[in-house]
Order: sequence, then C-alpha cells, then structure tokens
Amino acid sequence: MEPCPARYTDCFSGIDNYLFFLKISDFTAVPEFYSIVLQTITVTVVALVICTVIGFLFSILLDHPIPGVNIARTLIMGPFFVMSTVTGVIWKKTILNTTFGWYGVLAKAVGLAPVDLLSYYPLPVIIFLFCWQWIPFFVLIMLAGLQGISGELVDSMRIDGLKWWQSTFWVKLPLIMNHIRVAVMLGLVFIVKEFGLILVTTAGGPGTRSYTLPYQVYMQIFSASNVGRAGALATMTVVLTLIAVNFVSKSMKKNNL
Amino acid sequence: MTVTIYTLAILYFSPILYMLLSGFKTEYQAVSPSFVFTPTLETYKSVLSDASLYTYLGNSIFQVLASSVLCLLLGLPAAFALAFGNFRKKGTRDKIYMWFLTTILLPPVAVLIPLYTWFHAWQLNTTPLGLLMAYVGFHVPIVVWMLYSFFADIPTEIMEASEIDGCTRFQQMMHIAVPLVRTGIISACLLVAVFIWNEFFLGFNLTGNDTATLPVYMSRFREQQGMFIAQLSASSTIAILPAIVLGWITQKSLVKGLTLGAVKG
Repeated sequence: MEPCPARYTDCFSGIDNYLFFLKISDFTAVPEFYSIVLQTITVTVVALVICTVIGFLFSILLDHPIPGVNIARTLIMGPFFVMSTVTGVIWKKTILNTTFGWYGVLAKAVGLAPVDLLSYYPLPVIIFLFCWQWIPFFVLIMLAGLQGISGELVDSMRIDGLKWWQSTFWVKLPLIMNHIRVAVMLGLVFIVKEFGLILVTTAGGPGTRSYTLPYQVYMQIFSASNVGRAGALATMTVVLTLIAVNFVSKSMKKNNL
Repeated sequence: MTVTIYTLAILYFSPILYMLLSGFKTEYQAVSPSFVFTPTLETYKSVLSDASLYTYLGNSIFQVLASSVLCLLLGLPAAFALAFGNFRKKGTRDKIYMWFLTTILLPPVAVLIPLYTWFHAWQLNTTPLGLLMAYVGFHVPIVVWMLYSFFADIPTEIMEASEIDGCTRFQQMMHIAVPLVRTGIISACLLVAVFIWNEFFLGFNLTGNDTATLPVYMSRFREQQGMFIAQLSASSTIAILPAIVLGWITQKSLVKGLTLGAVKG
C-alpha cells in the first residue's frame, strides 16, 4: 500500500498516528513523547502537592480572626483572577529578567551573578508560577471548609487542652478532607490544561524541556501542520487526564472513610 | 500573628502591586526597579491611544457579555429541570448530571482539532461567532453545575406548594426558584464572565488578528525586549482589573457554588 501522508485526512491511517508517539525505536534514549508525558506529570503533581500544603498552611493562618482579615484574604486571592498570559509576562519581564527585573537587581546587589532562570530551570519556574496562581484557589476552598467547622468543636478542643498543631492536623485536617479533595480535583483539571503560561514564559523551551501535552498538541497542529498526529495526541491527553482524575478521586475517597 | 499575616499577604500580592505602580512610570523610570518615583499618566496615555487595544478590548467584552447571557439562558432551565424534573428512571438525573460534570473536566485540547477543522469547513474559523459557540459550549456545564447545587438547597415543600396552587413549570422557575437563588445566578454568571475574560487557549487558536481577545493581546508582549515595562504594566492593569474586581466580588458565592456541588457529589 502506498504510504499515506499523515496530514491528509481522506485516507485511513489505522493506528499510525498513535504509533508515531508510542513506539520506542531506540532504547538508549527516552523518546520525546514519553519525556513530555513525564514533564506534564511532574509539573502537575509537584504543583498540586505544593498548592495543597502551602494552601492548607495559608488557610490556617487566614482563619485567625485578626482585625481586617478580609483585606489580607482579598490580597491573597488576587493572583487567581489574573489571566495566565499576564502572569507569565509580568513575572518574566519585571521580576525574573536578569537585567531589568527585581531578581536581577537584587542578585547583583548581594554580589551574585544572576542566571536566566527561565532558560536554566524552566520546569521549576513554571511550577512556581502555577503555584502562585493556584494557591489562592486552594486557600479559597479550604478556608470555606475551616470556617464550616462549628465553634463548639473549636471550644471543646481548647478545653480538652489540645495544642495548636494537634487541633490543626488531627482534627481540622481530617474534617476538611472533602474540601481538599475538591480543590485537588479542580486544580488537577485546570493545571493539566494550562497552556498560556508556558507559551509566554518559555515557549516550551529550551528545546522541548518545558513542553506539556497541551503544548505539544498545539505545536503539532500549528507548527508541524499535522492534524492527524495532533488528534492522536489530544486523545491520549484526555485519556490520561481522566485516568488521573479518577485515580485522585478514588484514592482520596478511600482515605476519607 | 497580625503582622505575619499582613506581611505574607502583601508579599504574595507584590508582583501585581508592582505592576499597578509601574503603569504610572515612564519607560525610563521603569527600567530600574523601585517603589519610589513620581507618578505620571504618560504611559497610560500612550497605551490608551493605541487603536488596536480597543479592538481586543471590544472583542473581549463582546465574548464575555454574549456568552454569559447565552450560558445563563441555556444553563438555567437545564439546572432547573435537573433539580426538580420528574425522571422516569431513578438513576437518570445523576447520569445527566455526571455528563455535565465530565464536560468541565475535559481539557480544551481534546476538542480543539474537531472544532478547528469544522470551523475551517464552515468558514467560522476567525469569526467572533465561532469562538462564542466554543465558549458557550464549554461554560454551560459550569453554570448548570453551580445552579444545580443552589436549586438543590431549595426545600421541596415550596415547590410542591406552588404546584398545588396551580403554577406551571415555567412559572415555578421564574417566580419561585429564580428569586430564591438570585445571588447564585449572579455569581455563576460572574464566574463564567471571569473565566471567559481570562480564557487563552481557545481564544488564541480560534481567532484571527481582528477577532482576538485581550489575553491574546497580552501574550504578544512575550516577544518584546525588556524596554517596555511601563507599557506592559499599564496594559496588563487594564486587562486584569475587571477580572480581579469581579473575582473579589464573587469569591463568597463562588466558593459556595464550587464546594456545595462537589462536596455533596
């Protein structure tokens, strides 16, 4: 049979498009697809863990009834409503820039030579930016959970003489497990599909070091003009996302009971 | 404790704060980072005199208004029917509800390719209508999800009483259910508005030069070299201010809608 160019949709190509990504021809190197999957998983998992931990600590702090706590809550909530492309360019140009940004100026002030973080450590920077954007969302939901805990329970914990860490981690944490589950699930869904932040900060680079699956789909369509392969890739992205969502929801439900 | 919390909050917010301030600098002042400077409106004047900004702003406003209204028109009856409709089989309600939920979970890359090829065939590819259809499709489930949880809070006795008094289904929805969940409806609408205002992936891939939205406009700044910090800050401020203000207004009901729907399900 005549080999069919993958971009023409009028001939059936079987599972060729899938095989293009999945097959391993050279066992000495990790094929591009697998390293991109790995990068996607790394970014998502690390960002989710950091968001959950720091989000929980923030929400415990913001649960204190200090005067004007609503102002503090509102300030922390800010980054969540900022569009991802603005987050990307603002951090890239005004903070992480080695010459004109705060990072560069402060590093020079203490006598260090600032390295371009976005080129040398693309994944950690992207994870950091994801966290900056999504911790507010986690705080928002967990704080709602903490405020739903009845005052009687808080009083009785105090009377029973629980230390702050005992009441925080043994009583309050299990009580808001449901809220944490919601935050992690929605966070997972939104972080996996994030695209704009990567495009404006690193554009996937250097090389393909900070590609994630959605970014690779985009590149396949608009850079390689290969709709068939992009379709295969998008399908695999959806399947992986659904598996991950299912896994998270099941495992967290089990812990809860 | 008070000091810790405030320091933390201000530090966390400082990138946005610095951006807000930098918009009031001249380009020359903005080159060296500092919080102390004499404010000027020069940069805002030059940003606001750029005609292309208004195209993007207009597109964004059109998409947000049109799709919020359409989402509400489609989502409100759907949520009402889900909450109070009589289903012949017991599991049907949950099954339909799950279909809406899984649509929220769907990453947009999944549908980008079919949308792109279809829109290409129907010549909708760079039209506002095409993007609007995609946005409505993606955000109706969110409206349904939030409103369903608000409707489910209404005691069934009220609905039964109104039925006995001879209300039709439509009257029940318009005169009883809707006034009871008015805050929920407003917050669902505003949440969808914020999401669409900030949406980048579809807006970037399904639009052309004269139909693109603000996030696309902002993404173009990535290619410039570091000498336009003041301009970047001023236009960023214009781009994010509506979403931040809307977000702050809605956060209370947003959290109620999100947690009610999810903690129960």
